[in-house]
Amino acid sequence: MDCYSFDKVISDYIESNLSAKQKQEANEHLAQCPACSEKLADMSQLLGALRTLPRPVTRPDFESRLMARIERQKQQKESPFIHVFHEYSRVISVAAAVLLFVATSLFVYTSVVLPGSPASVPSASIRSVEPAAALPAAAAGVRPEQAGGVAEKTLPDTNRVQNPDYNSRIMMVNE
Amino acid sequence: MMDKEKIKFTDEELVARFQQGDERAYIELVKRYKDRLLNFVYRYLNSFEQSEDVVQDTLMKLYTSAHMYREIAKFSTWIFTIAANLAKSELRRLKRRRVVSIHTMGYDDSEYEIPSEDFDPEKETTSNYGEKQIQEAIDTLPDQFKTVIILREVQQLSYEEISQILGISIGTVKSRINRGRLRLQKLLKDLKVR
Repeated sequence: MDCYSFDKVISDYIESNLSAKQKQEANEHLAQCPACSEKLADMSQLLGALRTLPRPVTRPDFESRLMARIERQKQQKESPFIHVFHEYSRVISVAAAVLLFVATSLFVYTSVVLPGSPASVPSASIRSVEPAAALPAAAAGVRPEQAGGVAEKTLPDTNRVQNPDYNSRIMMVNE
Repeated sequence: MMDKEKIKFTDEELVARFQQGDERAYIELVKRYKDRLLNFVYRYLNSFEQSEDVVQDTLMKLYTSAHMYREIAKFSTWIFTIAANLAKSELRRLKRRRVVSIHTMGYDDSEYEIPSEDFDPEKETTSNYGEKQIQEAIDTLPDQFKTVIILREVQQLSYEEISQILGISIGTVKSRINRGRLRLQKLLKDLKVR
């Protein structure tokens, strides 16, 4: 047996798994090879060291943490909606933020950029409408002008914006 | 009732009881295996925090997948297979993270570790080899040798059990253990020289 062959059976030699013939060949090699003898002694020591390595232990609250995890999972199984909510909470928050942003943008766009939209009408003109005066006349089949009141809807929309005296006129007619 | 009897139950009997809905059997299995699994995973990952997490995941898996266990294999083999797979995934994740942190870490940054009581990684073993040296050498071993060395030398499992856990033949296990031991020996010699 040479050094290379001994390397191949060194574990079996240590664990006494060699046949009688193999063991004799290994012993003969060891008797004449100090390097392999040293390697064998060193290996035995290393294996002993590996077996006596300190053993870490789990922290005292290990079991309570595990049982808490199990409880949480049980609850999630019982209420799948909550589970889905927890699972996708980040996606849901982002979607809600995007929706809020879109809604706000739409509101700002319609009220500032689009002319003639209800939101863009000056608040004074809205206050000038006198439904109390206009509606009874309409209900009686009388034209608003005849009843002494002016209904805002009878005027074209352009008047609201183009005629600056519009509000004061309405106020005067109503008085 | 069960507390008095539990010593009599084998692992396989406990799993059978748990499969029938007896949660006390599960708790008993947790008590039996939590530290054994931690010992294996810790030597594999060399990080106490991450190892405890992996053991928690393994025992969670036992809780949710106990119905998948069949008594054709020993329970210990089955649970170590789960732990080994989870530990491998965790090690891959940690390696990726370490690669990233090399570029982002300052000199003062270090990983936060809370080792358990009575556990001192600096402690010298009974031989000339210090634990720290041995762990450093184990970390350097290629994965195929590292797993078998830990299962055999640290966990002291039989060749047959290792063969079942890793899904390889007994011949391959023996060969890997022999080559792994020689590599480890060489690595430790190199470490001593440094």
